[in-house]
Amino acid sequence: MRTIRCVVMTVAALFAMTIGLYAESPQELLARVDARRYVPDLSFVMQMTSFDGEKQVDSNTLWGFINGVGSANRSLIAFTDPASVRGRRMLMDGNIVYLLFPKTTNPIRLSPLQVLMGQASNGDVVRTGFSQDYDVSSLTETDRNGVRCYLFSLAVKEGRRDASYRKVTLWVEKDSLRPAYAEFSTGDKLLKQATYSDYRTALGKDLPFSVDIHDGDNPQKHTVMAYVKVGQKPVPDTVFRRDYLPSWVPEQPR
Amino acid sequence: MKRARLLLAVSLAILAPAFSLCAWDAQALLDVLPTATLVQEPWVPGDPWVQSETTELTAQAALSHTQAILEGLSVSGTLWGMADSLPSQSPMSTPSTKIDLQSRILELKLVWEAIPGTLIWDAGKKVIHPSSGFFRTPLNVISHGALGNTANLTGSAVGTWEEGWVGTDLTLLVGSFTIASFLSPRLQWSGDADRALQYVSTQQTDYQDLTRVDVRLGSADVRLLGLLSTGGPGSADPDLRFTAGAGLDTNIGDAVTVRAEVSAASSQNRVMVTSSQVQLSTSTQAVAWAPRALAGFTWTNQDQLSVMAEYYYNGLGFIGNDYAQVISYSQTLRGTSGADTDVLDQFGDFSAAQHYGFVRVSGKIDDKLTAAAWSTVNLQDFSGLTGIVLTLTYDKWTLNASLMNAWGNTDTEAGLSPLLWKADLEASLFL
Repeated sequence: MRTIRCVVMTVAALFAMTIGLYAESPQELLARVDARRYVPDLSFVMQMTSFDGEKQVDSNTLWGFINGVGSANRSLIAFTDPASVRGRRMLMDGNIVYLLFPKTTNPIRLSPLQVLMGQASNGDVVRTGFSQDYDVSSLTETDRNGVRCYLFSLAVKEGRRDASYRKVTLWVEKDSLRPAYAEFSTGDKLLKQATYSDYRTALGKDLPFSVDIHDGDNPQKHTVMAYVKVGQKPVPDTVFRRDYLPSWVPEQPR
Repeated sequence: MKRARLLLAVSLAILAPAFSLCAWDAQALLDVLPTATLVQEPWVPGDPWVQSETTELTAQAALSHTQAILEGLSVSGTLWGMADSLPSQSPMSTPSTKIDLQSRILELKLVWEAIPGTLIWDAGKKVIHPSSGFFRTPLNVISHGALGNTANLTGSAVGTWEEGWVGTDLTLLVGSFTIASFLSPRLQWSGDADRALQYVSTQQTDYQDLTRVDVRLGSADVRLLGLLSTGGPGSADPDLRFTAGAGLDTNIGDAVTVRAEVSAASSQNRVMVTSSQVQLSTSTQAVAWAPRALAGFTWTNQDQLSVMAEYYYNGLGFIGNDYAQVISYSQTLRGTSGADTDVLDQFGDFSAAQHYGFVRVSGKIDDKLTAAAWSTVNLQDFSGLTGIVLTLTYDKWTLNASLMNAWGNTDTEAGLSPLLWKADLEASLFL
């Protein structure tokens, strides 16, 4: 009798799990992928190195913090190295972007395209929380480098037309739910290709410490964005205002 | 146990600044400035002006430091100095010492975030630039102007370095609003004291109270400001003056940023020409309100080519018959020994008219090299200034080459300027 009860319970549990698995919509699965990476109030030190083929052309060290997800996120970034750009500070609040040059007190407003074309735009790729901004157009499975992956085709949501990229194709490792690779485009034109790697557990999340972003037009040109240090720093919403930039004293994560 | 807790708290407080920015920044600039101007030998009045070429050499350095003292409390400052081989830029008026030395404390302030991100108080010396304009800045209502001698070679109204004002500023950020009030006292000292203090700070002739209100409306940032200033009792200029201003910054689509601003200052004066004929004469005219306005945009394409255009209205400037009188007066002045009032440049270089336009095209040539070409045009007589700038940037240094040229007939503002062309080769080292 006990054995029968046990078998019934096991079958019921398996059935429930199966129902649960199939009950999860592609959008919910995408939200789960995001949730594994999302750290609220993330503060960081980041090394951003640009290459043309094998040749390093630029390297910047940034200190900053990010609040929120997707195109609704906001960030403050300070350039601390090299010396020629040290002291520059940037506010990104969705499509509202201000850049403050050292020795000036009025931040300059930049257009989304100026940011998109500049190296700082790569921050878009690193920070993107997909489910906030994109609807899943299709979800299939495929192999990538011998690893089974979910393949998401994403289209920007109607209410998020100001997001930097209209379409994203995203490969997510099926077992770990880690994003492995993504292609970002505006309509038909491929803008960025991102490879996520060096996953580490930090702040209770599974974070890719390195993202290698290739230019869509010229894949020889690529930028490696690597976290040097991460932490959490809760800040009030008011710091994401242009008037706060001149008063902001950047600090490293603790 | 209490002691241990206290010790831990103190240790953490001491360690906290170690995570914050604590850095010395230094910048050194060497400029070589060949310049061509029209000069007239003062001992031969009536002789035609001749072109004279000079080369000015300057070395500038600035040292900055930001130090976090405690959580939310920091001190920062910038010290600047310059050695200039020919500050007059004319071979006819060389300085007595040949080398002119200047230095200033540009900024030195204590900043306290009393409520993090919400209430900020600072005291000391600071620069306040509310304007978003590039070639003219109507909202920079308290500005000492650019220091050094390379200002305007890029077409920008704001130079690399500017001296701030001593005062105290309180900023409150709440929701979509920012309210800030800067109070600056009158600071004056004797001529004897100024011989030493001129290397530290400029005197402040007025009491000033500048209030700024910023509000985010959708994706637009709107700024309002009001400035009350007076020399106060006992000063040479005790009148109370008021300046009001408003500005807007926003985007149109993905590729365009737009800015517009206007300010109006009460009780201004300007020098009018009453006769430009044989007997040169001028008089001072009181202007109740002098408005200034700027509207502009920056468009950027996917190849990082950027086009900026701005229009500037100078309410204190001249137009119509008044402007024709100023031009005529300046033409006559050119033929004399030059001791009379310079009406053309009374508001600064290239600012005598009411309507000006500005265009700048810039882009990246490769990863290290950028280029820009710009032109400022007097829209009343279609004379102007044109410049090109090439910048090579490496990690610790930049090399900047620029050339500015004035163009226009002798019955135009730019054509009457003694400046013909000016070049600058600038090496900048960052430490």
